[in-house]
Amino acid sequence: MVSPMSSDPDISDPDIVVGARHLAKAYRLYDNPQDWLRQGLLGAYKTYYKSFWALKDISFGIRRGESLGIIGRNGCGKSTLLQIVCGITRPTKGELWVRGRVAPVLALGATFDQEATGRENVLIGGAVLGLKRHEVLAKFESIADFAGIGAYMEQPIRLYSTGMRMRLAFAICAHIDADILIVDEALSVGDAAFQRKCVDWIDNFRRTGTLLFVSHSPNEMIRLCTNAMWIDNGRIREIGDSTDIARAYKRAARREKDNMARFSALS
Amino acid sequence: MTDPIHPLPPADAPFLHIVDGRTVTARRGFSGRVVKFLGEPFASAWHHRDLIVAILQRELRERFNGSVAGWVWAIFSPLLSLVTYTVFFSGAVTLPNSSASRSPIDYGLFIFGGLIAFNFFSEMAYRAPSLLHEYAHYIKQTMFPAEMLSVISTLRATAYAAIGLALMLLCQLVFSGSLHWTVVLLPLWFLTFLAFLTGLTWLLSALGAFTRDTAYLMMTLSPVLMFATPVFFSHEALSPNVKLLMYANILTGFIEIIRDLVVFGRLPSAAVCAWTMFLSATTFWIGYWFFRRQQDGIADVI
Repeated sequence: MVSPMSSDPDISDPDIVVGARHLAKAYRLYDNPQDWLRQGLLGAYKTYYKSFWALKDISFGIRRGESLGIIGRNGCGKSTLLQIVCGITRPTKGELWVRGRVAPVLALGATFDQEATGRENVLIGGAVLGLKRHEVLAKFESIADFAGIGAYMEQPIRLYSTGMRMRLAFAICAHIDADILIVDEALSVGDAAFQRKCVDWIDNFRRTGTLLFVSHSPNEMIRLCTNAMWIDNGRIREIGDSTDIARAYKRAARREKDNMARFSALS
Repeated sequence: MTDPIHPLPPADAPFLHIVDGRTVTARRGFSGRVVKFLGEPFASAWHHRDLIVAILQRELRERFNGSVAGWVWAIFSPLLSLVTYTVFFSGAVTLPNSSASRSPIDYGLFIFGGLIAFNFFSEMAYRAPSLLHEYAHYIKQTMFPAEMLSVISTLRATAYAAIGLALMLLCQLVFSGSLHWTVVLLPLWFLTFLAFLTGLTWLLSALGAFTRDTAYLMMTLSPVLMFATPVFFSHEALSPNVKLLMYANILTGFIEIIRDLVVFGRLPSAAVCAWTMFLSATTFWIGYWFFRRQQDGIADVI
């Protein structure tokens, strides 16, 4: 049997919904706007930017129905990887493929138009995620019901609390019949009852769909994911069973804290 | 062998495949690529039609329902400018050939036609450079089709231009009792203008995403351009050489055509129409090409 987290996924295998081979992403950093213009005009002769490699070498393959937790410290490249999988930004090197409709819970809450009402944002959000207008309208009651924010649905988003915003975002994502669900820390904003509702929904979703879950909490990751990937400085540090990864990560987090204490003691 | 619990997605399910920063698409021959390139903006707009409608609806609602007087402003401000121009400019402008000037309102309408076109243009010229910043939350955070923002904002500006045009036709009807049959050609004028402005917005918004200088440039250029555009005068009164030069400004063509159609009730010259359409189509596809070329960088810099 093929290893569940193959580091050399095969694109011809229709079962691998998200595949990445030696994925790398560089951001171009310019010292000043003039350099940007020079790059545009004379870029063929000389390079005027510095490259920042947010991702250096990432290879993995997620099969349909699998759940992958992604863990790592701030700035390790988690968000960049999620943005790439969503198609928001483009990898600089390497190969990537994504089969099916992606629902990013994390991002959607941030995209809400502050002045628009909850209802308008459901229509826009649904359309962004690829639903047809009549589909959104047909599911509207169910979305409102899941979000459970009552009359606030007709109020502008700027009046919402962070939790209410997250509720609405999750409710939309839960209704688009996604093939791949991407969830990040967003979940921790909700209250206990809503978090349980979400976790129950995700459990149910996992029976048919693929889950990408980003968290700083190893325990939550073990709860939701069978496999996990630990990213460190743009590279995969460890990949495998989520329980093993969580243990290794916790151990490293303790050690690194020790290291920091040692460095501060030195200075 | 299909797993019954995890069925294969339908054949039309989205499939994203990128190798070394380039999206992998089906191979095509030269003519196939040309057809794809020319049709792509329309195919994309059709694909995202529900999104375009959803955002447009919300923008128009905010514009017209966001204030207490709402619609009153939208109608009152063009009406006021129409009255002002009629009162102050009647007589100051020599209308080309004696075919027109049946009523003093013709002078007002003559200038108003120019203003509708110029304001339509300048609204986009001012807004386009900051357009992508305005929607940065969508572009950075979700798989938003940024190229559709240009279409959406041009359609939004069309709503204002259409109100102005409706007022213009109404005045014509009230004061002269009838409309020229040529007004049925106005939708064509709108379509051509839309294509030009959408292309322009693609160009300016992509540039504006990278540098704020684009906004300053347009703020500086736009008022100057107003004097190089026959809004308050008739370019037909100019010497032939200068007149020809005026046509380098695409707005000259648009203004001449709308005046011909609404005020003078005659068919515009075929050469002017062809030239205007050519410039519009060129702007449209070059704008689209430029935007798509820059699009990968846009999410990273905004």
